[in-house]
Amino acid sequence: MLQDDNDVAPSPTPSRRRFLTGAAGAAAGLAAAPALLTGCGSAGASGDTLQFWNFYAPSNSPDPAANRQSQWFVELIDTWNATHSVQIELVFVPQGTYRGGAKLPSAFAAGDGPDIFLLSPGDFLRYYNGGVLADLTPHMAAEAIADYGSALESRTVDGKVYALPMEIEPLAMFYDVAAWESAGLSEGDIPTTWDEMLDAGDKLRTGTRAGLVFDTPPGYYQNFTWYPWMWQGGGEVLAADGSVAFDSAATRQALRLWQQAVESGIAPRTLPAAGDAVSAFAAGNVAMWQQGIWQVASFGAYAPDFRYGIFKLPVPPGGEYTTALGGWSFCANAQGRNAEAAAEFCVWALGSTKEDSIERMVTWCTDVKTDIAPRASALELGAARGGYDFWAMKAFRDDIAPGGRAEPRYPPVVYKAVSDAIQGTMLAGRDPADEAERAARAIDAYTRSYEGASMI
Amino acid sequence: MSRTTAPARTPESAAAPPSAPPPGRRRLGRKHREWLAAGLFLAPDAIGLLIFVGLPMVLSIVLAFYQVSGFGSYTWVGLGNYERMMNDPLFWDSLKITGIYVVVLVPVLFCVSLGLGLLVKQKLPGMSVYRTALFLPYVVSLVVVGLLWKFMLDEQVGVVNRAIRGLGFEGRSWLGEPSLALAALIAVMVWVSMGYYMIIFLAGLQDIPREYYEAARIDGAGGWTAFRTITWPLLRPTSFFVLLMSTVAAITGGLDLIFVLTNGGPANGTSLAIFYIYQQAFVFGEYGYAAAMGSVLVLIMLVFSAVIFAVTRGGRFDDDR
Repeated sequence: MLQDDNDVAPSPTPSRRRFLTGAAGAAAGLAAAPALLTGCGSAGASGDTLQFWNFYAPSNSPDPAANRQSQWFVELIDTWNATHSVQIELVFVPQGTYRGGAKLPSAFAAGDGPDIFLLSPGDFLRYYNGGVLADLTPHMAAEAIADYGSALESRTVDGKVYALPMEIEPLAMFYDVAAWESAGLSEGDIPTTWDEMLDAGDKLRTGTRAGLVFDTPPGYYQNFTWYPWMWQGGGEVLAADGSVAFDSAATRQALRLWQQAVESGIAPRTLPAAGDAVSAFAAGNVAMWQQGIWQVASFGAYAPDFRYGIFKLPVPPGGEYTTALGGWSFCANAQGRNAEAAAEFCVWALGSTKEDSIERMVTWCTDVKTDIAPRASALELGAARGGYDFWAMKAFRDDIAPGGRAEPRYPPVVYKAVSDAIQGTMLAGRDPADEAERAARAIDAYTRSYEGASMI
Repeated sequence: MSRTTAPARTPESAAAPPSAPPPGRRRLGRKHREWLAAGLFLAPDAIGLLIFVGLPMVLSIVLAFYQVSGFGSYTWVGLGNYERMMNDPLFWDSLKITGIYVVVLVPVLFCVSLGLGLLVKQKLPGMSVYRTALFLPYVVSLVVVGLLWKFMLDEQVGVVNRAIRGLGFEGRSWLGEPSLALAALIAVMVWVSMGYYMIIFLAGLQDIPREYYEAARIDGAGGWTAFRTITWPLLRPTSFFVLLMSTVAAITGGLDLIFVLTNGGPANGTSLAIFYIYQQAFVFGEYGYAAAMGSVLVLIMLVFSAVIFAVTRGGRFDDDR
């Protein structure tokens, strides 16, 4: 019933009861706020459902390749859920946010990390030392571990496996065949040494075309692409006994190579096409670019008619060929709500001796993406099914990947010291000897107080 | 509409003084009632600020005394993080870069925004279109802005270098050389923010009574004299606001843009303090150390703000006491 204002008894001051009621309401709101806030950012799913944070699925992209990857994850989870009582749901985190963003670290810092997640080698040690990686070994058969072979080395501590690689991604040099021909170069001019590579880059470059591209933005990825150049000359960040070995002739030589390429104008200071290699090649803005096996799929999807070639990373005088092998892994959160089930899932998905586990890896590495399968049995099966028949995949499997080394698992301070040395010499023109020495000092100071799993 | 059965009040009863409060219950005076009302109105904001700003700030200050693993482990280190900060050349470099960034960005942004404010105040046909166009970059996501400028500043095929080469000069790697990258970052930030501050200046300019200008014109004052003697003094509160806000934004903002444009490179050339703090916290998991650096940055910001307050006297007019 509505009342006229005149009918309301005047209330010059709020009554004590009303004030107390209001205050109690406000206090209840305050008390509930933190709980509500925690609920907002929680990684925990409802009930017994575990969460699998990843940057593939579920998503709906205009890119058919991305949709195939999403579908692989969706089918994986559907199959698990249909056959297991513990249910899992996929949580999509955009790649940019997942790799360099705050979402995953914040969730773990809040003690609320996802039950299952994807991990890169560069982050392995930080998460292992944080005690959030579950031991997967009890769920794995010895023959499955043997099947993985050296692919598990950078994910193993004291003989125990803490992450299962889903792919191996080697680096090589990609080049534009048409640009090569127009510069008067032939197959015989494919560089096998650093000097030959710089000479070819010099011949190939024009006002709008970079002769040779090395990664330029600071980050884990740039370090990953630089390590093979150091390794080829026998350089190491840390020696086998754990001592600092960064200040070496091989390191200075590798730093000088990238510096020379930039200062001579052969390599650009920033990535063409904002880092989109296929677009840059297709637009004729680059002649050679150090890239990974994943670009085979990208060329197939976005520039199927583009003529490109691939060759192994050239070596310095007296050097030995090697390349870096990247790739992501499945991990289970040891502090999650059901670490046992999460670990069981990771092994069931990728590390079981059962056929469907191997089959799944073959599909991921040859049908959905273009990668080297980390398990010997999956690599064999993939090859038998024609997954490596395409010339580029064959080159990666037979010539480029053999002799490769897994991406190191150095902790952030070591990564940063190496990164600053690369950036300082490559883009700020600093002396490689000074930078190598400064970085070695920083790494040495860190390793003296470091407590955690072996960095090598 | 039905009426209640409450007896109608007579003019006498309405005018009668309210009955004396019961013993032990004192009626609030007018001033106290106003304070109470003000307090109740301010309470939601104050509580929000307390929860979302005050509490995190206090927690952050406390966090700075711990070494935090990023995985739930906290170890008391006292002033350890501050000692580490003192010996961290990258932190000092980031402060130096932040200093240059603020000292260049804020005055440039101030002048450009004021200039644009004066221009778009003119009554010319289609002025609203210009105002909208100039404000538009501010409403675009910084990530989009970053990507857009990344392509425009591309050293090989970017439109900026194409234009420069068209004029017969050598193109530069705007984002690939440490000193140029910082300049490019400042230029992009000016482009993004100028529309916002232009609107604030425009509001301030429109508050100045037109009669003052008419009187000045009658007295023979030119455009510059009118600006110096009327516009500039009367814009003091607006100028103070713009100066303060742009300084705070310069010290604490722009993270998204740095991420997309340079990722702190080349060679840490655009690694502003805010970026370095973010990197330590969320890339390296050094939350305690990041919190310590954050505390110092807040202190620096307070000093900057205090200086601006002192120099501009809080934006008060000369005759305000």
